[in-house]
Amino acid sequence: MTRTRGRIAAAGMLALTLTAPAVPAAQTLAIEGGTVHPVSGASYTGTVVVRDGMIEAAGPDVAAPRDVVVRIDARGLHVYPGLFNAWTTLGLVEIDSVPATLDQVELGDTPHVLAVEGVHPASEIIPVTRENGITHALTAPSGGPWAGQASVILLDGWTVEEMEVEKSVGVVLEWPSLATREFDFSTFSVREKKFSEAKRDYDRTVDELGDWIEAARQYDHARSNAEPGTAVEQDHALETVATVARGELPLLVVADRARAIRDAVAFAEEHGLRLVVVSGRDAAKEADLLAEKNVPVILNSVQALPVEEDDPYDGPFAAPGELHRAGVPIAFGTFDASNARVLPYEAATAVAYGLETEAALRALTLGGAEILGLDDRLGSVDAGKWANLIVTDGDPLEVRTTVRHVIVRGRDVDLSNRHSRSYELYRGRPAPP
Amino acid sequence: MRAIVRNRQVLVLAVGLAAAPLLAGPPPEPPPFYAIEGVRVEVGDGTVLERATVVIENGTIAAVAEDAAIPAHAWVIDGEGLTVYPGLIDAMGSLPQPRRPPGVPGAAAPGGQRRRPDPDRALPRGPEDRPLTTPWKRAADDLRLDAEAVETWRKAGVTSIAATPGDGLFPGRLSLVRLGAPGRDPEHQVIAPELAQVASLSSGGGFGSYPGALMGRVAYFRQLLLDAAHYAAVTAAYEADPSGWRRPEFDRTLAPLAAVGSGEERILLPGSSAVEINRALRLGEELGLDFALYGGQEGYRLAGELADSGVAVLVDVDWPEPLPERDRDPDADRPLREILHERLAPTTPVELAEAGVQFALSSGGANGADDFLAGVRRAIEGGLEPARALQALTRDAAAVHGLDDRIGTVATGMAADLVLADGYPWRESTRVEAVFIDGVRYAVSDGEEAEDDAENGESAREGESAGEPDETRPRGRRGPGGRGGSSEAAAPMRLAEVASKYAEVAGDSMVPMTGPYREDDVLAITGATVLTMAGETIENGTVVVRDGRIARVGSGVRPPRGAHVIDADGGYLMPGIFDAHSHISTAGGVNEGSLAVTAMVRIEDVVDPTDVAIYRALAGGVTTVNILHGSANPIGGQNQVLKLRWGQDADGMRFEGAPPGIKFALGENPKRSRSFGPGPRRYPATRMGVLDVIREAFTEAAEYRDAWARHREAEAAGERSRPPVRDLELEALVEILEGERLVHAHSYRADEILQLLRLAEELGFRIATLQHVLEGYRVADEIAAHGAGASTFSDWWAYKVEAYEAIPHNAALMADRGVLVSVNSDDAEEMRHLNHEAAKAVKWGGLSDDAALALVTINPARQFGIDDRVGSIEVGKDADLVIYDRHPLSSYAVVQTTLVDGKVYFDRELDRLRREQLAALERSLTEPADDDGGDEP
Repeated sequence: MTRTRGRIAAAGMLALTLTAPAVPAAQTLAIEGGTVHPVSGASYTGTVVVRDGMIEAAGPDVAAPRDVVVRIDARGLHVYPGLFNAWTTLGLVEIDSVPATLDQVELGDTPHVLAVEGVHPASEIIPVTRENGITHALTAPSGGPWAGQASVILLDGWTVEEMEVEKSVGVVLEWPSLATREFDFSTFSVREKKFSEAKRDYDRTVDELGDWIEAARQYDHARSNAEPGTAVEQDHALETVATVARGELPLLVVADRARAIRDAVAFAEEHGLRLVVVSGRDAAKEADLLAEKNVPVILNSVQALPVEEDDPYDGPFAAPGELHRAGVPIAFGTFDASNARVLPYEAATAVAYGLETEAALRALTLGGAEILGLDDRLGSVDAGKWANLIVTDGDPLEVRTTVRHVIVRGRDVDLSNRHSRSYELYRGRPAPP
Repeated sequence: MRAIVRNRQVLVLAVGLAAAPLLAGPPPEPPPFYAIEGVRVEVGDGTVLERATVVIENGTIAAVAEDAAIPAHAWVIDGEGLTVYPGLIDAMGSLPQPRRPPGVPGAAAPGGQRRRPDPDRALPRGPEDRPLTTPWKRAADDLRLDAEAVETWRKAGVTSIAATPGDGLFPGRLSLVRLGAPGRDPEHQVIAPELAQVASLSSGGGFGSYPGALMGRVAYFRQLLLDAAHYAAVTAAYEADPSGWRRPEFDRTLAPLAAVGSGEERILLPGSSAVEINRALRLGEELGLDFALYGGQEGYRLAGELADSGVAVLVDVDWPEPLPERDRDPDADRPLREILHERLAPTTPVELAEAGVQFALSSGGANGADDFLAGVRRAIEGGLEPARALQALTRDAAAVHGLDDRIGTVATGMAADLVLADGYPWRESTRVEAVFIDGVRYAVSDGEEAEDDAENGESAREGESAGEPDETRPRGRRGPGGRGGSSEAAAPMRLAEVASKYAEVAGDSMVPMTGPYREDDVLAITGATVLTMAGETIENGTVVVRDGRIARVGSGVRPPRGAHVIDADGGYLMPGIFDAHSHISTAGGVNEGSLAVTAMVRIEDVVDPTDVAIYRALAGGVTTVNILHGSANPIGGQNQVLKLRWGQDADGMRFEGAPPGIKFALGENPKRSRSFGPGPRRYPATRMGVLDVIREAFTEAAEYRDAWARHREAEAAGERSRPPVRDLELEALVEILEGERLVHAHSYRADEILQLLRLAEELGFRIATLQHVLEGYRVADEIAAHGAGASTFSDWWAYKVEAYEAIPHNAALMADRGVLVSVNSDDAEEMRHLNHEAAKAVKWGGLSDDAALALVTINPARQFGIDDRVGSIEVGKDADLVIYDRHPLSSYAVVQTTLVDGKVYFDRELDRLRREQLAALERSLTEPADDDGGDEP
């Protein structure tokens, strides 16, 4: 622990300065003597060597090269891949109640807008989040139904370009809801709507989604086969949907209720799309279907209330375990910005209620990367991968564990943040006279 | 008579078409003398005369006897094979009013009297504006009767309706109105214009107006009746001796309520669900009212309590029923309690009858006479004896309204409102021969019936055998569905039947359907690491519980003989969690945000003990919850501390003896409330204004206190003094000034926290807790010096500007500076893992494990003044305990068992069993019945 400590102290004194991202040029770095949990294999005590932002070597017998600049003594500590929050609004949302700071909901159907183009790299929430061991996150637009494209970003960087992992990991579609019970604010009570009415509206909306896919295919066809002299006007929305129609990008369908999940699966199958179910409050009820169709789920907060009055009190706690046992690939998200740091505790609750610890850790790292096609770069402590690593004094899913180092693309980043600075400042407040 | 009716129909048609000749007037009335000879008589009080003569003269029953002399001038009707019943009385309903022609804008729905908002009227801004309060009105004052609709009621055998005066919180008085042909002078149909005042708690004045929440409506109810009682007392005192006093001004709102306020006139209170019934019983008793209840549909649960209270119930027979199958979402999971309520509700009348409760039946929201009778049939299907049903519909209906000396029985001297039929009027096979209303004979069983039915495309009576009348079987449009379609309502079930069904499906491993899983006089929890929160941790300890209290704590303690032993080997035992800030279990809204100061509203009035969030909280180790009013106004309502005794009613949930408190709110919420919606913006709009409102409110409260003091001094000195009007808002504020009510202040920014502390010091009271207090870490020393507690979130931030400076170290830093700190949830989900939230104060700020757990146990108990009862494991304290499988600060810790007062309210294993057994019950209720010997032993 060398230069970062100095930085914290300096930041503490200045208190209100922004957290500086780590030096842009990645260091050559060695984490020595820690218990390494590579996720891709069994744990061992050893060394991880990082160069140019990449893991150069990792193993029980690896020795630090001579040119190492930063040595982290990890004896008695643990080394894990950096945690991946697989669904957030980081960088798009700063203060929920202040519209001027909100950039996650566009008007109308905008499948083509890119989350990363709205990300504010200086968001105070980003350093707060990474302090707890989260090194990268998916950030997603909402609204729609066609909300836009989700991006994956590193939680460190001077500019958003330095933060980008992938501009687009899929197109976000908010599946329409079929609501027969709606809350009526005029009477403050639940109002029942006729199922047939609600179903009619719902079916129409779903049909329209199918029309989008067909229109995108036609557009694709026309654009690629346009005869000379024929102008096929460019349409960014259709062009984006066409990438989904061609199977190049997954369709990230935000769906909670069992019907929505079933229908989304059928929709993807009918149109030949790659599907990821997102949020998935009822996903465990459709676990067999999801497993059969090999549809992964990015789960919303595990610490959630059951949907129906008679649902088991621990239904949402137990759902990740049920999905995993059924063979459904899962990842965890927090679906917001300011609470993104609690990601490991959401997963911990899933473990407390039946998910194996290893499976939870995998879902937080490699599993999420696999679902979004990033496992060539992220998710495990293996040579050749991006060096997103954390060093902790214990199980990162335990609240009382402290994250000692967060390494983002090879950079041992400053862990101070808006919160730690305020804490240090006011802890030092002299007693009033 | 039939001709008259016919002609009137023609008249109505003619007016509609403006074509046919209008000059044919009704034929003259025949002389009002009848004798029904050789007829069976059901008197209405349960007695039957097998063969009698009923003599009717001038609207009155002149004689009922086997040998009654028939006056020579009487028109004799042969009653052979027929029965005379008293005319049925709808004990509370709407009068059939004329329909407006279709297509006219603003036309009211049939039977609907929805109040349209008057845009010119200012929004009610307080109880003094008397929102939706028209007690001077009487249903009889504005009689508009639809002759045709009246006739359908009459044909059904209903001869009068106790009519409601319309909507509103105090809409006015019920009137009893006959259903004779309205004729030119419908007011001649009025039997009694003033039966009772009616109160409602369901209709609000609309968005932004007072009262906006249920608790606001209850508070208004209470205040208005206090005002009325005061008016009565002051008026009486003045009339007794006017010397030296100014004459009290006439008040048209209070004058008609004065007798209600003083307990001399009856008022009908709403109470359909058990929670509402309990609330009404409490209110009525608290205010010393003469009251009856209307609604009563969940009365089946409270028959005993209702019998004890001696309160009469007008049971609404518009029973709950599911949407038809085709209108339901096949995916929707209907709550079991809804399914059960549909089966149980129609058994309310029989349960009340057996418990000895005085009750009558009302059409309530039913859509006309057919629905009313269908509801009566369903009550009979639920077990009510037909003869008892008749009594409820006749004599008892009259008795509830104090008119049983005039109507409701077939007896000499009673009004001649009678039904002559070959069976009970609600039976579908019954042929109603004639209905007498006020002695006027209406022949109903004739060709018209067929015509009517033909219009509807079917005949209700077609195909029905003339043989055995069927009391219960739903049929045709008169099925219990009642709303046009054929009903899918399953057969009613009584509570006892549900219980035995549950026992049957649950089998040997049966656990109680609700409430505690176990209740033991003596129990011992052994083998756990006991985190006492009283300074020590006991390895392998034993805690003995006797009669709900902790009797022994120690490591070498042996369980007493006969004690139920919970083996918690390897687990951790902790005091139950106290969530200091929650809004669960609250009916009808958490904010009475219409006014800047609502100190009179009380959470205790709206506690909903059936909220499943209570059980879920128990499953998260929570045993005590502080339920707070919302933060819409600078001074909000009164909070209520609950013990989570799941299964008990609202009274049983209250933490008895917990010091009363109130909610204050600073910052963004109170200043931006009512900045949108109709009506003017509500003051305040700034933090300056928030402080101003609070200071001003206490200035007023001090004046109020002084006024009472002067009054008491004067009385003590023997002087004549007019008492001030009791003001429940100011009374609550005076209690704060007197140090008898704890202030819990929603606050965020350091500056507003400090300002409030200083204002409280200026006014002479202490803030008990600062709630949220997210910037408390910046003024921790000042908070500690003032002596306020701080109750904060573990790590929430950035959801609004005043939460942008929040830090997760807040709890620890304040604790380090000597503030008594707790961590709360303000959320039905977060409250399920407050132990994990407490752990964050270890991570951020470095509290010790014990200090962290104190944040959710003993510290909040101290803040709320109940640390002598809960919050730690010490001999003599309540046995409110939670057992975890690991240390509760571990992210993996799972609650195994939760006890309140030594009773097991949650247990992970028993929960699984209960879930299975309730699911089995639900299947047995919803799957098609297997009639073939399924019930054979």
